[in-house]
Amino acid sequence: MALDETIREQAALWAVRTGDPAFDDWEDFTVWLEADPAHARAYDQVTAAVLDAAEALPRLPEADNDDGVRPPARRRWLGGAVAAAVTAVVALGVWQARAGPYSVETAPGETRMVELDNGDRIELAGGSRLVLDRGDPRSVSLAHGQALFTVDHDAGAPFTVMVGEDTLVDIGTVFDVKHSPEGMALAVSEGAVMFNPGRQNVRVSPGQRLTSAAGSDQYSLTELAAGEVGEWREGRLTFHDAPLSEIAADLSRATGVGFAVSPRSAGRRASGSLMVEPLRRDPRALGPLLGVTVRHNGAAWEIGAP
Amino acid sequence: MADDSSSAGLEEAFFANRERLLRFLVARGAGEAAEDLLQEIWLKIAARNSGPVAAPLSYLFRTADTLMIDRFRSLRQAERRERDWSDLNGGASPGVSDAPSAERHLIGREQARLVAQTLDALGPRPAAIFRRHRVEGVPQRALAEELGVSLSTVESDLRRAYAALSALKERFDEV
Repeated sequence: MALDETIREQAALWAVRTGDPAFDDWEDFTVWLEADPAHARAYDQVTAAVLDAAEALPRLPEADNDDGVRPPARRRWLGGAVAAAVTAVVALGVWQARAGPYSVETAPGETRMVELDNGDRIELAGGSRLVLDRGDPRSVSLAHGQALFTVDHDAGAPFTVMVGEDTLVDIGTVFDVKHSPEGMALAVSEGAVMFNPGRQNVRVSPGQRLTSAAGSDQYSLTELAAGEVGEWREGRLTFHDAPLSEIAADLSRATGVGFAVSPRSAGRRASGSLMVEPLRRDPRALGPLLGVTVRHNGAAWEIGAP
Repeated sequence: MADDSSSAGLEEAFFANRERLLRFLVARGAGEAAEDLLQEIWLKIAARNSGPVAAPLSYLFRTADTLMIDRFRSLRQAERRERDWSDLNGGASPGVSDAPSAERHLIGREQARLVAQTLDALGPRPAAIFRRHRVEGVPQRALAEELGVSLSTVESDLRRAYAALSALKERFDEV
């Protein structure tokens, strides 16, 4: 039995407010509850859903916490008040005393460089999370977001990146990986990377990009201009017939400004090459660049087909 | 009597606001069980042994609310176990008791994955705010300061997350 959406929203708001230890409006809450028996049922459902979710999350292997080590360089989320990119070099040698997984995370609009003991470098784009293992420095997992890898080739101990259900094995040396709820994308700049050696076993070479939808065995291999690999480090994003939903998500991660797609335009596609910084300053400039409408809907900058 | 004074404020507040608490429990859907639940609250605060409370009335309401939530969740879990048990025992032999627990474990992992996906789809900030607040227990005010945003932004992100998770749970419960 589905909840009425208006009541769900109201119940969610009350659940958020009662979740604050300083909440004191029990009288108003009681009045709302008394207005309709459906209100109490909705509030029960929402609070139960939230509790279930909070209990479920730590069960995921990659959700292990990052030991509370958040480098002080990481600060604000809102792009407007922050320098174009906050970059911090994190030396991991000092943390190798303790075994086990740990993660490095960036906020939208932020970038970070992770340098491993042997000189391997991983640059994280905005809104990204990388899970590493002190016991195995040659194996990492990109939980979400995007990262550019520059790694040493070692046939005896190949560098491996887990991306959702897929495994990427480096033959050497420079490649970019993107992981979103929709799927993954791998672009190689130098050397080569094997996609799922145990399954499809596809070799991706410089100037090539492989994409695969989440939960699907199918993949697509396309050509890519060499300069596009890891271009986000130069503050540029290029879209080739990409769904507006992907564009909105990528822009949000890169700028730290919230972008969304108007529901009626979710399936539409667009192409273009954009510089991130001007869009952070004026999101509406996206309109003429991609041929879309841009308007603020109260929560985010909503893009839509004209 | 140090112990007595710490709960004295709570006990006073309980007696002074018994009717309001009862009304709250009824509004929450307790029905005929309201008086019993009020008694449970009384037993809880009488057994308490951990220092004075700054806002006794609010504490009592919160205790009542939590009690109702726990009650709702246990009822649901009992219903689910009943359903699983009757599905399993619809003619099959009682020996296959391992299957449901292994299956439930897999379903649990799958649901956890969908929860993470639902949160991530909202965007990095709402997803992180939810995790920090509900998994790591950081209060909303502290989060607002830490992230340099307004409290209403944190509330708004949480509201979207809660609504999305509520819709997700509906899909789980349909199974």
